[in-house]
Amino acid sequence: MPETMDLDLTINAQRRSMRIEARETLAEVLRDGLGLTGTKISCDAQVCGACTVLVDDLAVSACTYLAIDADGRSVRTVEGLATNGRLSPLQQAFIDNAGFQCGFCTPGMLMAATALLEEDPDPTREAVIHGLEGNLCYAQIIDAVLAAAASGREPVR
Amino acid sequence: MIPRFTLHRPRTLEDAFAAFERSGGDVAWIAGGTELLQVMKMGLAQFGTLIDVKAIPDLHGLERSPDGGLRIGAGTTHRLVERSSIVREHVPGLAALEAGVANVRVRNTGTIGGNLAFAEPHSDPATFLLACAASVELASPRGRRTLTIAEFMLGPLWTAREEDELVLAVHLPGVDRAVGRAYAKIAFFERPSASVAVRLAIHDGAITDVTVAVGSLTEVPTLVAAAASALDGAVARSDAVEDRVRAAHGAFDDLDVMPDLNGSADYKRHLAGVLLGRAAQLALTEAMVHA
Repeated sequence: MPETMDLDLTINAQRRSMRIEARETLAEVLRDGLGLTGTKISCDAQVCGACTVLVDDLAVSACTYLAIDADGRSVRTVEGLATNGRLSPLQQAFIDNAGFQCGFCTPGMLMAATALLEEDPDPTREAVIHGLEGNLCYAQIIDAVLAAAASGREPVR
Repeated sequence: MIPRFTLHRPRTLEDAFAAFERSGGDVAWIAGGTELLQVMKMGLAQFGTLIDVKAIPDLHGLERSPDGGLRIGAGTTHRLVERSSIVREHVPGLAALEAGVANVRVRNTGTIGGNLAFAEPHSDPATFLLACAASVELASPRGRRTLTIAEFMLGPLWTAREEDELVLAVHLPGVDRAVGRAYAKIAFFERPSASVAVRLAIHDGAITDVTVAVGSLTEVPTLVAAAASALDGAVARSDAVEDRVRAAHGAFDDLDVMPDLNGSADYKRHLAGVLLGRAAQLALTEAMVHA
């Protein structure tokens, strides 16, 4: 019987408690334990960014982050971005600006860009490029993030 | 999946050393895990016990030391170093370097102490800290000791740290006002292919007290005396530095350079020459502010 530990955390504003093994990554707990498969595992080496989630508002690679390190913390995943069926402004900007092609990297892009815009609501183009250079894709995502930032400066339509 | 291990999360150094002692040797320290979890996932290393040191207060804190230098707790993440107002004010070259380490996710979890302890030959901080004559403070049940970066870094993935020793802190020495410390690298994606750190001072309008370190070229970050003496004594002006750098193209010839997928040894020597110019200009600009 493998040794297990108590994990208590908040995921997308909901309190969750479970028993996990120390070796389980946050990506494994989210995907396999909770069915939150929006978080993708691709490179499994902190290079591609597909598994990006926010832990206490900081972007981390869920593939290389021990789930137990999220104990007592708040985790946000792509499933938590929309509220009451309404997409976040950033999600809408991705649609409006064709900010994806195949879509596999999109959850990680959205989470990385969410953290970026929360820290710096009015970033320069260079700041967006720097902030997202660790998330790999070939679509025109930079424009979508800048459009989302611009929409935040305008009255809500 | 990562192979099974027992995890301890001590809150004091004493408890950490006790857990290490009880583990019977099949054990590793873990902080951010950016390197360790990776090698465990890849099957390159396996440990029955991991001891998470993130909650030990002795590994945290970032403050000025009595000599005007900095003490950076080993458990400080790259991101916290990057954003520290103390680092930005007193060692802006280190803040700039940290903003370019890997990617934002690695910076949010990876620690400066873990980076040095892993001793990757491509480490950004190690090269800069070597040029700055920084040192590493270690703790074990036998007490504490301090090693210079040169004494600490022995080879690729190899340091002078004993197995049960923990990196406690990094110390940067205080400097006179007219000193510049800067770092320049060329990276294809995230891994530097070549990097150069320059530390210089300005005295009576001339450049003096120059230290140059290269990273990613050699098995460990290495001081390059020929590159330092090429800059020494130059008039403290951008064009004079440019002339000296141009004349110093042979400064990296004696280095035993590792070729890699990014290029041959000679190509990487060439990159080092280009980066010497960039880092020297940045260091000059910083020093001029206080000259």
